[in-house]
Amino acid sequence: MEVLQFQDPKPVPDLIHCHGVDQHNAAIIIDNGSYQCRVGWLNQKEPLLTFRNVIAKPRKERSKKDIPESSVMPQLQVGNDITNIEAVRFQLKTQFDKNVVTHFEAQEHLFDYTFTHLGIDTEKCVTHPVVITEPFLNPNSSRQLMSELLFECYGVPSVAYGIDGVYSYHFAQPKSEDNGLIISLGYHTIHVIPVLNNKTSFVNTRRINTGGSHIISFLHRILQLKYPAHANAITLSRAEELLHTICAVAVDYKEELNRWTAPDYYEQNIKRIQLPYSTVTVTTLTVEQQKERKRELAKRLAEINARKREERLAEDEEKLNNLIAIQEMLEIDEDSDEIDQLLVDNQIRNVEDLHKNITALNVKIEKTKEKIATASNEDIVVDDIPIKQSKPNKMVFENEKAMHIYIQNAKKMRQEILNKKTARKQRRQDMAKRRTAAGQERMRIISQLARKEKGNDDFGLRDEDWDIYKTISREGGDSDSDTENEKLLELEELIRTHEPSEIDDTLKPGESHQLHIGIERYRAPELIFKPYMMGSPEAGLIEVIGYVLSLFSPEEQLLLAGNVVLTGGLANLPGLKERIETDLVSIRPFRSYSKVSVIASPSLAAWYGTRKWARSSEFKRSLVTRAQYNEYGSEYFKVHIASNMYVPTPKGHAMDVCD
Amino acid sequence: MTEFIKSEIRPVFKATTFQHTSKSNNKKRAWKSLKQIISTERSLQWPENYVHYSSINAPPSFKPAEKFSDLSGLPAPYTDPQTRLRFANKEEYGTLIGLPMDITAGYLALRGASSIVG
Repeated sequence: MEVLQFQDPKPVPDLIHCHGVDQHNAAIIIDNGSYQCRVGWLNQKEPLLTFRNVIAKPRKERSKKDIPESSVMPQLQVGNDITNIEAVRFQLKTQFDKNVVTHFEAQEHLFDYTFTHLGIDTEKCVTHPVVITEPFLNPNSSRQLMSELLFECYGVPSVAYGIDGVYSYHFAQPKSEDNGLIISLGYHTIHVIPVLNNKTSFVNTRRINTGGSHIISFLHRILQLKYPAHANAITLSRAEELLHTICAVAVDYKEELNRWTAPDYYEQNIKRIQLPYSTVTVTTLTVEQQKERKRELAKRLAEINARKREERLAEDEEKLNNLIAIQEMLEIDEDSDEIDQLLVDNQIRNVEDLHKNITALNVKIEKTKEKIATASNEDIVVDDIPIKQSKPNKMVFENEKAMHIYIQNAKKMRQEILNKKTARKQRRQDMAKRRTAAGQERMRIISQLARKEKGNDDFGLRDEDWDIYKTISREGGDSDSDTENEKLLELEELIRTHEPSEIDDTLKPGESHQLHIGIERYRAPELIFKPYMMGSPEAGLIEVIGYVLSLFSPEEQLLLAGNVVLTGGLANLPGLKERIETDLVSIRPFRSYSKVSVIASPSLAAWYGTRKWARSSEFKRSLVTRAQYNEYGSEYFKVHIASNMYVPTPKGHAMDVCD
Repeated sequence: MTEFIKSEIRPVFKATTFQHTSKSNNKKRAWKSLKQIISTERSLQWPENYVHYSSINAPPSFKPAEKFSDLSGLPAPYTDPQTRLRFANKEEYGTLIGLPMDITAGYLALRGASSIVG
């Protein structure tokens, strides 16, 4: 069985591109999506930059609050600068709230990043018109702040706005029809947008507030709950990777589920994915190796001792020689100053002392020599000792059967002890929590014990009374005793000697670090159709399509259902088109025509469409210039085929963006 | 803090004096969330034909929600009264009763069924 690996793709920091001469006054095309931002030039076919619309804002450390801000302050990371998104997961910020830009300070950072990497170097202005996508029915205040940012902060000459999904419908297809139903599958939302006679029907559009991000977090969470031990290794980026690589939409979800109940199908179709792991080498030492190591240590210790002894012997011998020399000098010539001096040097008071010292030293040398002799003999003995304590002898059995029964018994006992241990552990866990039955029972007993009943308190008259304290102790009266642990070790040793394969090698390295992903592959994307799986009360995609169609006349319904176009990153999911096709047939009248198609490269279609639109004649007419911005106010924009509708915020109740 | 970073690497193409209008009054004030924006938008007197952001929310589902096992995702005919988790067969029940509280609570929260009322 093939085991898949996580690729953990790391974004490559973007280059700072050169601002070529051919870009002279060319428009900058920005598809500002809540997942990714794609930026490029009007005169280039592909977007130059594609990055996650996120910034990592390092927080000021609390402990360093008083220290004046110095140059060690970590830098703000933007988009593809963030090489390890998991490391900064909790500092991530985005300018989006759902699919709408609300946080314009973050947007400013992202524009800084964008324009810097495009290589813009003109002083205090960006001398290019900007086309930027915005969400369907973007609130006026959001657009107002966007215009303000672009005109006032970056000094752009002109701006145009449009809707990503509508751009891709009209301009990213080889030939767009006048009527169609756009399904725009985004990171936070899914839009069902009807288009009749090239006009977007705003009134009848519906938005499902479920998108790619929900699928990713759903997948992330079900895997974490399935593998609690690996909760930290299962990251959001990995869940995202799984969505991009192995997830698919089931054409018939019910039937897909039924297939998975068959063990054969499960075995054949399960995806095994390896989490990174490190093998623990310490525990793999065999008993033999440990003994070998011990022997080596003993040997080294003996060597050190021997060396010390020899040194001592040499020292003593030298001293003895000295003393003997003095003795000889004494014999030749008593009472000379020289000898006195020598005696003082050797710390000897008189001649008697000298004799005594000499004999003592002789004895000492003799002893050391003896020790050295015995130690060299011991060397051989040391080698013999560990062999004696090797494995417990294999028991001899009369026949195979007897041995088998014996081992079965041992195993049973082992299992019993293990069961007891787990039961105890469970009990301890339950006791520690308040809302479990065990915990509540414990609290009940405690409160009963604490109740004061004067007069008839006979607690303690019987010895059994005291047992109640055992039941309310967290340990549950009995803990994992040492004797039990010893017994367990003994049994395991026994089973190992007779059936070596039983306990060892039950797992291949890393097998416990594998994720088995079966139904989850289909379960997570199913959220598109069943938002109730994560508690959302909203209708699923097919229901919403049916609802939107029901708002039109039967003739119009036929036109819309005959041209359903999927766009947005999620449209990449295998099986999505087929699923919508089959489900659409089921909600449409018998034998009525319907057609579903997926736009080419759905993630980039919005950018391509926007670019193509910007090359049309309509583009020039749709730009809001700086002068118009000054004249008509910051929320003004020009309506075109792919734009939102322009309704100025009612006067008198003018929206105050300040509060 | 942001001021500090900005001053260090302020790109050449930016206007030096720009201040977000909504920030200029009070530095501490956070940006309005989408919820706030929508509620302000809704409170206004719009012309008849205007559709705004919150008026295109998907309708609630009219179909009864199918029940799926919390653990495996299989169709789940049973519910454990203790944990309120759904399960498909007795093997799943076996694993379910051994699950610690945080896991069962996690499954319920994932399904959006963790509120006491529901």
